[in-house]
Amino acid sequence: MEQLFAIDLEKISVASEQEKKDRKKNLQLFFETGLPNKKNEDWKFTDLNSIIKKNFKSVKNNYDFNFDKKIDIINEFEHNYILLVNGVYKSSDIKFEEDEKVKVQSLKSEDNLRNYSKNNLSNLNKALTLGGLDLEIQEDYKCKKPIVIYNYFTSNLDNKIINNSNKIKLNQNSELILIEYNVDHKSKYIKNTFENLEIKDNSVLKNIVIQKTKSNGYFYKSIFGSQGYNSSYQNFILTSGLKFNKVDLDMNLNEEKSNCFILSGLSLGKDEHQEIKTRINHLAPNCKSYQKIKNVLQENSNGIYQGKIFVKDIAQKTDAYQLSKALILENQAEFSAKPELEIYADDVKCSHGSTSGSIDDEAIHYLMTRGIKKKAARKLLINGFLNEILENISEEKIKSFLESRIGEQIDAI
Amino acid sequence: MKSEELKNQEYKYGFTTDIENIKAPKGLSEDTIRFISKIKKEPQWMLDWRLKAFNRLKVLKEPNWQKPKYPRIDYQDLYYYSAPKSMKDKPNSLDEVDPKLIETYNKLGIPLNEQKRLSGVAVDAVFDSVSVATTFKGELDKKGIIFCPISEAIIKHPDLVKRYLGSVIPISDHYFATLNSAVFTDGSFVYIPPNTRCPMELSTYFRINASETGQFERTLIIADKGSYVSYLEGCTAPMRDENQLHAANVELVALDDAEIKYSTVQNWYPGDKDGVGGIYNFVTKRGACRGKNSKISWTQVETGSAITWKYPSCILQGENSVGEFYSIAITNNHQKADTGTKMIHLGKNTKSKIISKGISAGKADNTYRGLVDIGPKALNSRNYTQCDSLLMGNKCGAHTVPYIRSKNSSSTVEHEATTSKINEDQLFYCNQRGLNQEEAVSLIVNGFCKEVLQQLPMEFAVEAQKLVSISLEGSVG
Repeated sequence: MEQLFAIDLEKISVASEQEKKDRKKNLQLFFETGLPNKKNEDWKFTDLNSIIKKNFKSVKNNYDFNFDKKIDIINEFEHNYILLVNGVYKSSDIKFEEDEKVKVQSLKSEDNLRNYSKNNLSNLNKALTLGGLDLEIQEDYKCKKPIVIYNYFTSNLDNKIINNSNKIKLNQNSELILIEYNVDHKSKYIKNTFENLEIKDNSVLKNIVIQKTKSNGYFYKSIFGSQGYNSSYQNFILTSGLKFNKVDLDMNLNEEKSNCFILSGLSLGKDEHQEIKTRINHLAPNCKSYQKIKNVLQENSNGIYQGKIFVKDIAQKTDAYQLSKALILENQAEFSAKPELEIYADDVKCSHGSTSGSIDDEAIHYLMTRGIKKKAARKLLINGFLNEILENISEEKIKSFLESRIGEQIDAI
Repeated sequence: MKSEELKNQEYKYGFTTDIENIKAPKGLSEDTIRFISKIKKEPQWMLDWRLKAFNRLKVLKEPNWQKPKYPRIDYQDLYYYSAPKSMKDKPNSLDEVDPKLIETYNKLGIPLNEQKRLSGVAVDAVFDSVSVATTFKGELDKKGIIFCPISEAIIKHPDLVKRYLGSVIPISDHYFATLNSAVFTDGSFVYIPPNTRCPMELSTYFRINASETGQFERTLIIADKGSYVSYLEGCTAPMRDENQLHAANVELVALDDAEIKYSTVQNWYPGDKDGVGGIYNFVTKRGACRGKNSKISWTQVETGSAITWKYPSCILQGENSVGEFYSIAITNNHQKADTGTKMIHLGKNTKSKIISKGISAGKADNTYRGLVDIGPKALNSRNYTQCDSLLMGNKCGAHTVPYIRSKNSSSTVEHEATTSKINEDQLFYCNQRGLNQEEAVSLIVNGFCKEVLQQLPMEFAVEAQKLVSISLEGSVG
C-alpha cells in the first residue's frame, strides 16, 4: 500500500504539532489495513483495492488549487452558488438570500482527527484532508433560491488523490435545495469525501448531485446524517458519467416524524462502476424512509445497490421501503443488490423489492406497431425508466434542467 | 387446545433412552477418525478420504459472519461416535432389537411395525449414529432402488459412493462441512435407477440421544436419468442442558430429467424459556441439478433448535433445470435462526423460486439470508423470490439479507420482501367469530405459511401445521 500511495505529509500546513501527530497516526492506521477489498462485507461487490491497483500505478496527494477558468454558470434557473476547486472552498455568491441567514465558509476539520474509524477511508481522509465546505442555514429561514455547488477540478490531477470534508447544517425550520454540479477535465484522479449533515427539527434539505460530463474520476463519498423532529431529507443521486463512484450514506432518523428519501437514476457505460450503499437507521417512532434506485447498464458496466434499513425496537409505526430496479442492456453488464432489513419493532411496515432484466420486448413491439422506430422506442422506454426518479422534484425549472441532462445521457447510448 | 394448556406444554419429546453406549475416545484426532472408520469396517479409500478432510480442517477457521453468535465450541470435549451397544451384532429382525429402543421410537410415533404398511413409509431410523432397521426393503429392491445406511453403501456400492460423495459439497468446502467429512458416522444413501419413480416417500428420523455427542450424518441422494424421489427428514431430540452440535451434510444429485423433492421438519430441542440448552443446527445442504430438465425442490419447516444456521442450495448446471426453496422458520423465546438458500444459475433457461416465511416471537432473532446468482452463461434464466417476515412483540427481530447478482441481459430477477405484524383487523374478525386469541393467531399464522405447507407431503403436512401452532405457544398476550 505504501508503494502505491506516495504521500508527503510535510506539505500539509498544520496549526499545531498535535495536528501533525494526529495526521501521522491516521496515515499509519490507513497503511496497516490499506484500501478495503471484497472480504469486507461493506465492499463485497466493489473491490476497491483491486480497482485502484488496476488503474493507478502511483497516487500522490494534491496540493494544487490554482484555478483561473471562468465558471460555466447554469442558465436554466436562478441560483446562489458556491465554488469548490478540487474539493476546497474557493468563493461564493449568495445573492438571492437575506444577509447573515446563510453562512458559507471554508471548513477546518482538525478538531475531529482523533476519531479513528473502522472505515479505513476515513482514516485516510483524516490524514490528508485539506478542509472543504462549511454551510449553515439559520433558524426559521427558508432559502428563496437553490444553492449550486460548482465542484470544479483542475486539469493536472492525474494520479492524484483529493481528500476533503464538508459540513452542512440546517437549523430549525429552515429549508434548502442544494445542487452539486461536478465539472472536471478528464484527469484520472481519486476523490475521497466525508460529509456531515445535520438537519434540525422541521427542516427540509433537498440534495441533488449531478455530473456535467463524462469523467475519469474515482469518487468515494461518505455521508453521515442526523435528523430532528419532522425533518425531511431528500437525496437525488444522478452521477452518471463517473468512472467509479460509491456513495456510502448513513442516515439517522433520531426523532419522530422525520423522513428520508434516497432516489437514484444512473445510466452506466463502458468500464463504469457505481455503487450506492445506504444505511437508514429508524431510531424513533413514526418515521418514514423511501429508497428507489434505478440503473441502466450498458457494455461491461457494473451497478450495485447495498441498502439497509435498521428499525430499533422503539421505532414503532415505521414505514420503510426499498426498491432497486436494473435494466441490463448487454450481456457483459452486471447488477448486484443486497437490500437488507434488520427489524426489532413489530408494528412496522417494511418492505423491499428488487428486479433486474432487459427491456420488455413486448413494450418495444407495441411502440413499433405505432410507427416508432426500434431505436427510438428503446430510448423512449429508457427515458421513462429513469425520469421517474425526478417525479419528486416539484421545482419545474430544476426538473426540466435535470430531464435534459438525463436525455443527453440516453442519447449517448 | 386451550391457551392455558398450550402455555404449560413442555417439550413433548424431551426424554432420553437409557442405553449403554459405545463411545469413541473423546476429542477430535486422527485416532478418533481411525476408530470410527474401523468400527464401521470401512475400506481404506474411505479412511483416506476422511483423513484428507481432517488435514484440510486443520487449516480452516470457524466462520463468524453469521448473525446468531454462540459460545466457542470445544471440539476436543465432544464424542464423535456413539452407538447403542446392542447394535454391536446387527439384529436380523426387529425382535432382536433392544426393546427400549423400540419404545423410544414408539414414543416418537415412528411406524416401525404394523403402522408401516398403513402409512406407506419406509423408515431408515438413525438412533444416534447407527441405523437400526430399514423397512420396505423388498419393494424397493424390486425396482432396483437402493435405500440404505451410507455405511452399508460404502461397502456394498463403493463405485456410486466414490463417484458422488463430496461431488456437491467438496471436502474442502467450509469448516462444518469439512468436519462432517472427517468424522461423519452414518446417514442415508439413496440411489434411484434411470426412469424409475420411487413408489413411496422415503423417510428418515434422526434422533440425537447420547449427551455430549455431536451428530454428523451424511446423506447422499442420487436420482439417475428420468427418475423421481421424494425424501422426508424429520427430527426430534430429547431434553438436555448442554448444547449439542449437529453438523450434517446432505448432497443431492439430479441427472437428466430427474426430480428430487427433499422435505424437512425440524423440531429439535430449542432450549428452555431462558435460552439454556438446545441444539446447534449447523447443516450443509446442497443439491446439484447436473442434467438437462432436472429439478430439485427443498421444503423446510424449522421450528426447533437453539440456533438454526443452514442454507439448502441448488446449483443449476443443466439446461432448463429448476430449483425451488420453500421455507418456514419459526423462532420463539431465545431461539435464533439464520437460514435461506442459494440459487446458483449456471445453465441456460434455468429457473428458481424462493418462498420464505419467517416468524419471530419472544426474544428470538430470525434472519433470511439468500443468494441468487445468475451467471454470464445462464441466458434466459429466471428467479422469483418472496420473503415475508412476521413479528410478534418488540423484543424479537426479523432480518432479511438477500444477495442478488445478475450477469446477463436476458435473465429476469424479481425479489420482494415484507415485514409486518399480525393484522389487528384479522384478529378482531376471528375473535368476533368466537376464536380466542391463541386460536386466532394460530389460524392466521397457518394462513401466512400456507404456500409452504402446501408443498409438504401429506404425512408431514398435518404434523407441520400442529408444530407451527405449538411453536408459538405463550407468545401472544
